[in-house]
Amino acid sequence: MFLELSNITKHFGEGESRVEVLRGIDMSVEKGEICVMLGPSGSGKSTLLNIIGGIDNSDTGYIAINGEKTADMNEKQLTRYRRKHLGYIFQQYNLIPNLNIKENVEVGAYLSDSPLDVDDLLKTLGLYEHRHKLPNQLSGGQQQRTAIGRAIVKNPDILLCDEPTGALDYNTSKEILKLIAEVNEKYGNTVIMVTHNDAIKNMADRVVKLRDGMIRKNYINESKTAAADLEW
Amino acid sequence: MRNPLLKRIPRELRSEFGKQLAIFLFFVLVISAASGFFVADDSLIKAYDESFEKYNIEDGNFELNEQADAALLSDIEEAGGIKAYKNFYKQEETEGFESKLRIYAERSEIDRVCLMEGELPAADNEIAVDRLYANNHDLKQGSTIELADTTLTVSGIVALSDYSALFENPTDLMFDNDKFGVGIMTQAGFDALRDNHIHYIYSWKYNESPDDNAEAKDMSEELIKVIAARAQLTGFIPEYTNQAIIFTGNDMTGDESSMVAFLYITIVILAFVFSITTDSTITQEAGVIGTLRASGYSRGELLRHYLIVPMITLVLAAIIGNVLGYTLLQSFFAKTYYGSYSLPTYNVLFNASAFVMTTVIPFAIMLVINVVTLMSKLRLSPLRFIRHDLSRRRKKKAFRLNTKLPIMVRFRLRIIFQNLPNYITLIVGSFLANAILLFGMVFEPMLNNYQDMVKDNMLAQNIYILKADAESSSSSAEKGSMFSLTSKEEGYAEEDIPIYGIKQDSDYVRFDHGAKDVTVSSAYREKYKLSEGDTITLYQKYGDRKYELRVGGFYEYPAALAIFADLDKIEEMFPDEQKSTVILSDSKLTDIDDKLIAATISESDLTKTSRQLIRSMNGLMRIFLAFGIVMFILVIYLLAKIIIEKNAQSISMTKILGYTNREINGLYIHSTTFVALGSIIFTIPLSSFVIGKVIEIVFRSYPGYFEYSVSPLTLIEAGLIGAGAYALTALLLTRKVKKIHLADALKNVE
Repeated sequence: MFLELSNITKHFGEGESRVEVLRGIDMSVEKGEICVMLGPSGSGKSTLLNIIGGIDNSDTGYIAINGEKTADMNEKQLTRYRRKHLGYIFQQYNLIPNLNIKENVEVGAYLSDSPLDVDDLLKTLGLYEHRHKLPNQLSGGQQQRTAIGRAIVKNPDILLCDEPTGALDYNTSKEILKLIAEVNEKYGNTVIMVTHNDAIKNMADRVVKLRDGMIRKNYINESKTAAADLEW
Repeated sequence: MRNPLLKRIPRELRSEFGKQLAIFLFFVLVISAASGFFVADDSLIKAYDESFEKYNIEDGNFELNEQADAALLSDIEEAGGIKAYKNFYKQEETEGFESKLRIYAERSEIDRVCLMEGELPAADNEIAVDRLYANNHDLKQGSTIELADTTLTVSGIVALSDYSALFENPTDLMFDNDKFGVGIMTQAGFDALRDNHIHYIYSWKYNESPDDNAEAKDMSEELIKVIAARAQLTGFIPEYTNQAIIFTGNDMTGDESSMVAFLYITIVILAFVFSITTDSTITQEAGVIGTLRASGYSRGELLRHYLIVPMITLVLAAIIGNVLGYTLLQSFFAKTYYGSYSLPTYNVLFNASAFVMTTVIPFAIMLVINVVTLMSKLRLSPLRFIRHDLSRRRKKKAFRLNTKLPIMVRFRLRIIFQNLPNYITLIVGSFLANAILLFGMVFEPMLNNYQDMVKDNMLAQNIYILKADAESSSSSAEKGSMFSLTSKEEGYAEEDIPIYGIKQDSDYVRFDHGAKDVTVSSAYREKYKLSEGDTITLYQKYGDRKYELRVGGFYEYPAALAIFADLDKIEEMFPDEQKSTVILSDSKLTDIDDKLIAATISESDLTKTSRQLIRSMNGLMRIFLAFGIVMFILVIYLLAKIIIEKNAQSISMTKILGYTNREINGLYIHSTTFVALGSIIFTIPLSSFVIGKVIEIVFRSYPGYFEYSVSPLTLIEAGLIGAGAYALTALLLTRKVKKIHLADALKNVE
């Protein structure tokens, strides 16, 4: 078991305004899997992703990567955990505006002892010719590709994607999903992707459906579709 | 791999070039001024301190009413444990230009002189004069000075080691290098001068030097008893109370403390401005920071990253500031001191403490303030950065504003409350800038006003203090008496208080002669905060008697601390005191034998404090004025700019909604205008009050009194300068608002 989640609960607010966001999540993900988490707004999928990413805490339960439990970690160890194991992609690209594309990717590479070759990666991402441009000179899709580059350049064990296509149009979204699948195939990272786009489940190895803070479905997708062939 | 975030640094510096340059130049200005000052000050203090040994400066001097014979002198030396040196002077008024010249015979053993230009006098009609006195009267080698019955030729320019500050009287509030000077002649030349105003001064050195001022005080108190028991003392000045010797050292040391305070206050304000700027950058870059933290960047890495720009700016400014300080500005400050004091020559010394004070400590202040600000912000979780939720307090309900207020007023109020930390720093910065500005502005009018007040309230145009009783046939002459007691109030300088005996129907000083109480000058009242009925304790100058005097009323005399009592009762009130005859007269008296006049007090004596302060400080005050304006503009601009930047999206959105630039300025700039102008109105009187209090406290450690008064007109002028400076700032802000594009509202918040 590569990633293991056991009895994860989380609530927000107190008293009358207390909301149980996660109500005992148990699941596991194998190394190299693409796991897509689906669910309506408020189902707890982003909160779960943040807990896996070590940027939010659960009330109970634990998360373990290769047997290493995050709940036992202090602030420094959590930072090291994120640095070593995780790559993050958000709906907002959050690129550094006054660094060019290559430098933005290097910001990720700096965190790793054995990063991927930045130029090779830029070529894979189709950004090599734009590498000297600033983020605001690129389209949304290109900016998101840069964000993906920044996340995967350190060759993380797990790539966490929070609505990575949420701000993109149909074609660009497909391009990004294709890229994530390629990266997964090429580098063997485990991908955990949160989305409310139901069609994306078809490219996943594992599909987890959440509602009201509970897993309603958790299954292996036997009929995986190539990202390029997704339709919605 | 080098941290790629470092590549942002030059770009950040370039993209905010104007702002960074302004801050950098301001730092350079402050640090170079401080560095130059500290280097000059410390080098001069060292030269000054060394002069005590090099020129064998006295441990004190006493004056006798007549020349002591050898037996008396040796008796005093033996009983007092001292070596006494004859150090007589003769003081004459110059003709051709108004001044009093105090002439000593050549000195080889005590209080030796430093020759700065020309030659020491060789012929009997030659004199070497003090450098400042020479400069102020355009005297050079070969110039002549006319005295009452002789003409002297200047052979050289000197500094007398016991007159580093040209105090005519050691208890004066301020020296006077314009109307008072000192010089030396050969012994034969000195002897040939008339003896009308000879003073039998003996300087002494202890056989065993005291370790500190406390011991020197004890020793001098013993010595005074020894001398008073053997001769008639007319003066006794231990070195540690002799303003002519110690004032320069005290002033230079005091100036250093003021400069340290000034430097650190400015650095603290700038550090806060920087931390607010950085805080605003962090808010703008919250998403990026959240992502970097989520990706594994540690808090420490980001902290160091955001510290680089302010620290680099400070370090570069410190390097350049120190270079400028050591080269250009130290000579400027040294010249300023040489313009006020008769100091010996000096060498520029590398000053480790100046480096610590101008570089290490400001670096530490900047570091601490910025680290604290950044840490408190970066302590937030990555998630909160990603969500742009950076408020440290949990959001409560939005506070309510009265809906009867027009929406634009409420909008402005919301902007003010949203930016409260910026506005608070703006108010504090504005207060300090105004204090500096006001300090630069009030000085000259205040001194002129003081001078006028002194002139309008003189006891008489001329006061003659006589060695022995004499009569004048002039109808304006009015006889009285005078002696001095010493005030030793805790927290104040020890000082001599003249007590005048005034006749009942005086034409010059009118007060109630009925009671046995004394009448006190207004200067005395103000300095010691006296009220009618209070008791003043004064001490005999050369004895043990103590007098408790009840304040019966006040007499408007702002020029000096003085007490007035009825002439007929004064003998009965102070039977043990040796009194001098005083003649008050509005006209100059010509029928009194010059030999009988011990001293005269005229308008120029009473106004010398203000004259000297104007001469010494005026240049410096202009620098303060300019500095205050620059600081005011800088602080307001930087903070107001942050407010505009922080609200760039909202401004863009209001543009999309159809608001004109004018209306947007009305919202975002007028809020700042309201706070800036409000802070000017509020902080100018506050600054004036604080300056007044500081002056009052500072002057407690000096003898005499100097009234701080500022006309409302000066305060209004300061306000208008502040408003003008703000208008310039507002113009720059208006341009900034104009530059915000409509599309900004649609962009990602980065």
